[in-house]
Parts: sequence; C-alpha cells; structure tokens
Amino acid sequence: MSGEKLWKKFQQQDADDAPQLIQLESARMPRAGVSRRTFIEMIGFSAAALTFTSCRAPEQKIIPYLKQPVEFTPGVASWFASTCGGCSAGCGVLVKVRDGRPIKIEGNPEHPLNAGGLCAVAHGMVFGLYDSDRVRQPLIASKPATWADVDRQIIDILAATQKTGEKVRVLTGTITSPTSREAIAKFLSQFKDGKHVVYEAVSTAAIREAHARTYKTPAIPQYRFDKAKLVVSFGADFLGTWIAPTQFTRGYSTARDLREGSHEMSRHVQFESLMSLTGSNADARVRVSPSEEIDALLLLAKLVSSEGTAAVAAVDDSRISSRVREAVQQTANELLKLHGESLVISGSNDIDAQCVVNAINQALGNYGKTLDLNATSQQNEGADQEMVELVREMNAGEVGGLIVSGVNPAYDYYASEDFSNALAKVPLKISLNPTRDETSALVDFICPQHHFLEAWDDAQPVRGVISLNQPTIAPLFQTRAYQESLLRWSGDGRPFYDVLRQSWKEKLFTQQKTHATFDEFWDHSLQDGFAVLQTQSSEQPSFVADQMGKSVERLGARSADHASKLTALLYEKIGLRDGTHANNPWLHELPDPISKITWDNYACVSPKLAEKFELEEGTIVRISNSETTIELPAHIQPGQHDDCVAIALGYGRTSAGKAGTGIGVNAYPLVRFDNGTFQYQATGIKLEKTAARVQLASTQLHQTLGGRPLIKEFTLDDYLKKHTAGEYPKESKSIWKDYQYGEHKWAMVVDLNVCVGCSACILSCQAENNVPVVGKDEVRRQREMHWIRLDRYTLGSDDNTTVEYQPVMCNQCDNASCESVCPVLATVHSSEGLNMQVYNRCVGTRYCENNCPYKVRRFNWFENQHADPISNLALNPDVTVRSRGVMEKCTFCVQRIEEAKIHARNEGRNIRDGEIQTACQQSCPAHAITFGDLVDADSRVGKLKHDERDYILLEEVNLRPQISYLAKVRNTEEVEA
Amino acid sequence: MSLRTAKIISLLVTIAGAIVLLQGATFSWLGNQQGYEPVQPIAFSHKVHAGDNQIQCLYCHSAAEKSKVAGIPAASTCMNCHSQIRKDSPEIQKITQALADNKPIEWVRVHHLPDHARFDHSRHVSAGLKCQQCHGAIETMERVSQFETLSMGMCVTCHRTHREVTLDENGKPVISREATPKRLMASTDCSVCHH
Repeated sequence: MSGEKLWKKFQQQDADDAPQLIQLESARMPRAGVSRRTFIEMIGFSAAALTFTSCRAPEQKIIPYLKQPVEFTPGVASWFASTCGGCSAGCGVLVKVRDGRPIKIEGNPEHPLNAGGLCAVAHGMVFGLYDSDRVRQPLIASKPATWADVDRQIIDILAATQKTGEKVRVLTGTITSPTSREAIAKFLSQFKDGKHVVYEAVSTAAIREAHARTYKTPAIPQYRFDKAKLVVSFGADFLGTWIAPTQFTRGYSTARDLREGSHEMSRHVQFESLMSLTGSNADARVRVSPSEEIDALLLLAKLVSSEGTAAVAAVDDSRISSRVREAVQQTANELLKLHGESLVISGSNDIDAQCVVNAINQALGNYGKTLDLNATSQQNEGADQEMVELVREMNAGEVGGLIVSGVNPAYDYYASEDFSNALAKVPLKISLNPTRDETSALVDFICPQHHFLEAWDDAQPVRGVISLNQPTIAPLFQTRAYQESLLRWSGDGRPFYDVLRQSWKEKLFTQQKTHATFDEFWDHSLQDGFAVLQTQSSEQPSFVADQMGKSVERLGARSADHASKLTALLYEKIGLRDGTHANNPWLHELPDPISKITWDNYACVSPKLAEKFELEEGTIVRISNSETTIELPAHIQPGQHDDCVAIALGYGRTSAGKAGTGIGVNAYPLVRFDNGTFQYQATGIKLEKTAARVQLASTQLHQTLGGRPLIKEFTLDDYLKKHTAGEYPKESKSIWKDYQYGEHKWAMVVDLNVCVGCSACILSCQAENNVPVVGKDEVRRQREMHWIRLDRYTLGSDDNTTVEYQPVMCNQCDNASCESVCPVLATVHSSEGLNMQVYNRCVGTRYCENNCPYKVRRFNWFENQHADPISNLALNPDVTVRSRGVMEKCTFCVQRIEEAKIHARNEGRNIRDGEIQTACQQSCPAHAITFGDLVDADSRVGKLKHDERDYILLEEVNLRPQISYLAKVRNTEEVEA
Repeated sequence: MSLRTAKIISLLVTIAGAIVLLQGATFSWLGNQQGYEPVQPIAFSHKVHAGDNQIQCLYCHSAAEKSKVAGIPAASTCMNCHSQIRKDSPEIQKITQALADNKPIEWVRVHHLPDHARFDHSRHVSAGLKCQQCHGAIETMERVSQFETLSMGMCVTCHRTHREVTLDENGKPVISREATPKRLMASTDCSVCHH
C-alpha cells in the first residue's frame, strides 16, 4: 500500500515539475545545430565503439629459466622435508614448492614426533613468509644500511666491549638446534662475561626447575600420551597450546582411536578453571576454582602416595568442596589401579605445583613408562629466573651489549616497561628479529634474520630426534641467518650451511651406524627431514623428596590465600599463541574453537559471574590490580569457574604490522614473577563494568544443539554393548533418481571421537584453497569465508559442561539441494559424486546458499584484496582466485583429485587407496578424517562407512551426503545431556 | 553543426580508429585469440627447428609429458646446440648475451587460457594426442600463431567424442574401475578443468 502511494507521489511530482523542467531546458538550449547533450552522446558512442574495437587480451610474457635447474619441472610441485619454525615444538613438515615458491606446509608423516599432523600456527607460516611488513634490509638507527656497514660498525663496538670486559648477552627464544647453540656459544666465547639467555613469553620453566629439584635433572620429560591409559591434567592445555600440542594430540588420539575394531580407549580427567580445548575433550571435566585446583592436586598427591612422604600426608584438605573431593577420590582410585599406565600433568608454571605433580607420577610408577627422563624434551626452554636477572643487570648498567633474536620482551615481558627502560641503558643494542616489532624499535641495529622457510638450521626438539631445516626459497629480502650474523661478528665468515654440515659431520655422523659415508647420511637425513640417533638409555634418575615439605607448605598457603578471590587466568589462544605471529591475518581470523570469536581477545567470565556484574556479551569490563588496569570486552563462557576471569595473551601488539597492530588488548602486564617463575594468573583482581559494549566478531552465535541429533555420542560401555548410530546407506524413498557411479565415488568419514577441535584443518584448507580473509567487520556480519566450519556445542550444567566439536564442510550430497535451485547450472553433480562449483558460471544469486541445510557455502561479497604482490605469492596456482559475486565452497580438494587421477592414468594404473589426501585430512594431528573412493571395494573409507558409529548429519532431510561422521565416545559412566 | 554532420563525423572517427586498431596480425577479439601471432624478442623459427631439422617437440618442451605446462626451454637448452651451430647469427647472439647478462628472455605468450580453466599437457601427451592437434602445423610456422580457438567448445567437443567407452542397452556408458586406466576416458565434468 505504501509502495503504491510512494509511486503515485513520485508520478505526481514528476508531472507537476515537467513543464517547468522543459522551460528551464529550452532556455539553455541553443536555437539550432547540435545540443551539447547530443554532441556528448556522439563522442561517447565513438569512444565506446573504439574501445570495443581495440579490445584484446593484454600481452603476457613467459619468462623461462636461463639455466634449467636439475630435477625441476615447471608446473610440477616439489616437496622438501623440513622443520616447522612456528614454535619450539619442532614438528617435521613437508613444504610444497611450486615454481620456486613455497605455497603449503604439511605434516611429515614419517616424522617421529608429529607423524603427519600440524597445528593451525604451522599452516599460517606460509603467509608469514610473504609478510610484506618484514624488515627488508639491515637498519642502522632505523635507516637502511648495507650488511658490510652493519658488520663493520658492530665489530668495532664489540671489539671495544671486549676490552672493557663488560657483559654481553644473547637473548633468544628456545633454540633446540645444537648447531645454532654452538654458533651462539662461539660468539659469546670472545667476551669475558658472555651468556645466552633463553626467554619464553609463555614459559613452562617450572617443569624443568621441578625436575631439577626432584630428579636432579633440569629438563622437561617426554610425555607419552599414547601409552597412558588415564590422563589426569590440572589445567594443562596439552591439546591446544602446552609445550608441543601437535605431538601430544597425535599420542592422545592414538590412545583413543576406536576405529577398525579397537575396543580400548584411554580416559582423560581434567581439573580446570577456564574452559580449555583440552578440558572440552575430557571424559570427565571437573570445574574448580584456581585455588581449588591447587587443593585438588595436593589431595590427589595425598591419596596416591601410600608409601609417600610425610609432607604430602600433612596436606590440609579442609577447604575442598565435597564435589571436588569426590572427583579427586575417584580419580585417585582409578590411578592406583593403573600402575605405570597413567599420566598426571599440570599446566601451572609454579615450581611447587610441578614438584607435587612429579611426586604423584613417581608414586604411580609413571617415570620410565609414560614420562621419559632419558629422551627429554628441549621444547619451550625459557629460563624465567635468568631473564629477570638479565633485566636487573641491564638496569644496573652492567650489560655492554645485548643481542635479541626471535623474542620481543618489550611487548611480552611481564614488566615490559622495565625492560624497555633497562634496554636504554645498554650501549650496544642489536635486534636480529625479522620484523620491526616493539623490541626492534628500541635498538641501534636491526639485522633481520631469514624466515625459517628461507634458512638452513637443525632442531632437536626431543633428545635423539634431530631434524633438518632446509631453505625452500631464496631469501625474499636482504636478510641473513642470525647464526651467520653472530659467526661473522666472531670472525667466522662461513655461510651457515657449511657450519651446519661440518657440525653434523663431526658430531652426529659418528653417533649413527646406518650410513657408511657422511654424504650418504646427510642426503638421507635431508630427504627424510630428520635423523633418529641412538640415545643411551640410562636408568631413570631417582626421586629426591627433600624439598617436598616446603613445596606443599607453600602451595597450601597460596591456596588459602587465593581462596574465593577473583583471579585473572592468562592463557594462549590456539591461533595467535603468544603473539609472535600477530601480523598473520589467517591466525587472527581463525575462530577460537571454544568461544568461536575472531580478531580479538576478551575477558571470559562464567554465566554466574556475568549475572553478578550484570555483564552481557561484549560489555567492556575494566580489570585492575595494584600494577595495571586493562579494559576489554566480556565473553560469557559456560563451563568456566565463577572465581576467575580468563584473558588471552598475545593480543594488543603496538608494532606488529598491517594486520596485527592494535588488535585486542595486551594482557601480559597481568603476568607476575613469583617464586622463580612467571605466573600466568593474577589473584585479587578487581572487575568493573563500564557503560560501553562492543559486538565481538563471532562465527557461531548458537551454543546448543537445540534438541537435534546433530552430534551422536555414546559412553564407552554403551558402544561396546553394540549400540549403533545409524545405518549406511539407509534405504529411503527419494523423488530423485539414484546416480550411477562408474569410476569413482569420493567420500569422507570424520571421526568425532578423535577430533579434538584443534582447528588446524581450517587453516590447512585456507592455505590450499586460496580462501580469503575478510576482517573483523565482515565476520560480525557472518560473512567469514572458511570452507570448514568447526561447530561447537555446549551441553550440560554449570558444574558439568561438556563441549562437542563437529567439522562441517560441503557434504557433497547426492540429492543436493543446491544443485536443484541454481538457475545457471553453476553448481552441478559430477560423475564422481562431487557437487562441483563452477566459478565462471556463477552469477551470485545465492539461492544455493539459502537452500543448503549444512550452510557450508560462502559468498564473495566483495572483491577480496589481492593487492599486495608479496602476499599473493602464497596463492595456490592450482586453485582459481574467486572474484566478487561468486559462490564458493569445499570441493574435496578437487585439484588434488584431478592431479592424482592424471598421475595414475599417465602411469596406466588405478588410484591407490589413500593416494589422495584432502588438505584438511593431511594435516589433522588426530587423523580424524578419512577420504577415499567408495567404488574401490577395499577402500578404508568404505569400511568406515560400515562402522557401527557411522551416521549422517541431518539424515532426515535425505540429501544423501558423501560425508558421514563417526559418533563420539566418552569413556565415562554416563553421558550428561 | 547540424545533427547530421555530427553523426557523420562520429561515424568517420569510429571507422578511422577501427582501421588503425584492427591490424590483422596483432588484432584479436577478447577471449578468442585464434590467429594471434605476436612478434617475439628473438626470431625463433619452429619451421627451421621442428620442420627442416626434425627436432622432437619434447626436446625443448620437455615438461609436456610430465607437467601441466609444456614449458618454454631455458636459454641453456638453446645453447646445447648453438654453442656450436650458427654462433654468429645476431639472433643467437641475443641468447648468448642474455646468458652473459644473467637476464632471462621475455617471450610473448601465444596460447593463453583464462585463469579459471586448467589444462594439463601431460595427460594429453600421454594419451597420445599429437601436439599439432591443438597447436596446428607448428613445424611449418616461421613465427608461432595460435591455430585453434582454445575455447571451451573446442575442448568439450573433443572430450565428448573421445570417450572410448562401451554403451549398455540404455545408451549409458559402461565404466568399470578395472578397465579405466587402459582406456582413454575424457571426462566432461566441469571440475576436470574448472577448480
């Protein structure tokens, strides 16, 4: 009605104005000849006609090599085994190099640590290589310089320092590379007082210190999650961020895999305050307050150490609530039944807490079985005490030269201002960091190092497993390996490659017996990406309990002091981790698996705490203690304890680059240094509500399943009693004719039981399929482009929250609802069961997206930016870059299917089962995804389709998808719903 | 100026412009460059090499049987022969110079597919197609010119007719997994070329 009125009004208005307009027009019009209007029309016609006649494709150049490199074919990808430099975990990777540029990182299936799995950060590393914010040449006082100049000036100053005998310090992150450590040692040996300080922003130093106390072995043991039948974790996020999450996830899911006839799975109990990825996967998650966590740990120690120490027997367990007491009691009973087959860990960076954990594992006989002190881990080796000491020395003016490499304490040190002030007192400040970060901004010389994909290096994340890191591209910028810089400043001008080879020849070649000549050993190691050395297995060191009494006493006092006070818990997010890679938009846009929020950090509060402070999702809260105040939005997180606020570290960078500067709030000022280590919690904080509120960029607004059986779950008992999830294929009537598949029928099975929700698949897919980043604002409008959506559902009550994950990508339905509504046949069925998406046909009606019940189609609302020529190098040339107005979605990595088909046909054979791995499948640390051909009677995917746990998502709509899920099994008595 | 005059001027300008721009060899309609024959930086003759001297295509375009692309030979490949033969020719001198200057030769692309279309040389070469089928009588060309339209119609016509499969009584192709590797199976699924 109103529309009609509106039109009438316009018509009336136009009619009224017409004579007047004509009059006005005629007054201006020349009396004879061509009006200006007509003249412009004519010129316009000529111009348009000329433009069309001159239309032709632009001239393109082909630039071949001058000299053809051996064993290199244009258009064919080469794969190089290397080591990931994303964190200190040292996972083995395979780098895909197409036409000279690395475009994808995948897990090395043969690597003994990660066995083909990778985390989200590792996938993001390709984008990090092509970061145009990297420092492109050495800088002296922020001005571009040449390496020769830099070397001359630095060597002069260092020579003067040698004479004065002042302290020289090299400050780095964890370096597991023996050769690099030698280089650092060689550099430092020229000075009277030279020392290498290892600093980690998010440290696990307490574990090393505790082992130094209780076993006289200052090391992090090797945790064997694959051997543990019962894992009890006190707040350790070992599947997400703790020490070496990919390696741990691999072990954990191996022990919990129920496919192919296995009937045993390990059990996992988690005591924690915030909702972590690991906690969300636990069979039993016990929600405790931060002080209760200590109490529970002490109580467990008391209960399991039958012969134990007097110290533990004196534990005061009066504060502990009956619910938690019962849980600890039950856990203790279970643990005592599994001598040497359990694993107790704690995520705390408190030495006393770790000592108690050691005592528990000792009492349970786990050392030498699930914990190995022979093949110890060298991952995350930060020495907190030494770092604090360094800042003190700098402040006292004792340090004559500081060389920073790979760390950024001006941002992530708990007292970053102290560090910056102290740094100003150091006469020679050199940064070897690759970017102009907060620390580099304060130094005299920036000598940028290579990205790990450009550099030679080795790594020994775990004793006995030594990996090689080889360059996969010539350095993009005028950068230099940091080891080379240090060696050059100590008078050794060799390239680091020569140093590495020589070191391997002298040190490692002699430790192995497989290869007769060094060249053979080197070539094999380089091809495999790693070498396994024989380590002398000695006796596990014996337990020293002499300091236990004090530890227990201190812990008890701390717990009493912290009881029912509001505590800020500082944690790392899966994507951004400690903030080192903050300039990587892929990692920012990766939804956190628990909160589903992108591009921000926030204060997680429990629903009850939110109610108490009248907080809504996104309300800005002010969190303060005596040292600092930060303001950030609140996020209501079910399953979190009411006594804590959880805040992610790694955000709030002030000098990260285009993508990372100014995202979120820096929570590092809340970290404390206490009792010799950094503590990632602040007790007694004040929480205040402010009037402001923001909309967080969340990709999932629903928490619950809404009563639908989207995720099926059994208890282990129920499953073993032969309960089935569904039948495949289920006979049902359809108005569509069935497809006849001749050659192939591609299908996928996702095992929800081993999937832990780590989100690595999302980024692997993003890297493989040129999925664009859209930014915070577009995510708020629900326009994120990830082809895999990791659905997260929260079930249960406050004290008993369980979380379920379900990766959902295009289900490639037989009766696809998208295909029947496309007016231009841009989405059609292939002869191999895929729903093809033909980008060049798509006109963007979005009917398919609206008709898809799985909501897995993504629409390009804008021309996504591909303006940066350097970051464009990360694009996969086998996948079309989609333009504005085009629908896109998962196609089971059809480019990989086509490539494998061509390869097989050229060789005149069938495709082998497992030959094609989709990007998400390849990188899954849990091996949760299986892909294959249903026409092949022996395929693994075909067998899994007949698993009793197999079911189809939204089976009732009868779309007959090619993806099915294996129901989750919880190793618990009953499933809470 | 009357309307009539303006129209005539406009038309004349258009025609004159079209004559200038529609230069036979360099002109091509957008999206279809059949007959495109750009001038190359070096006057390389396929007639001399592939025609008169009978050099195998794969000698230079060695990637064609193992890669998506056929590959343009590296300058060093030319010098395999030309370090001995016709060293003094000014055209060969250009290659010698390029190698000396460490400056690669920038050839002008003749055959170009849009970015959303994928073509794999290795599959077609392995299936026994002659290069000439798509590239024309290249051994007679002094300067390479695009022989085919390289349009989707051209690809699909071939893919439709080269399905060596037996049909069942309903006219449907009988395809069995065991039989496929030996057969020339040209698929017409969109995703074969578009992904």
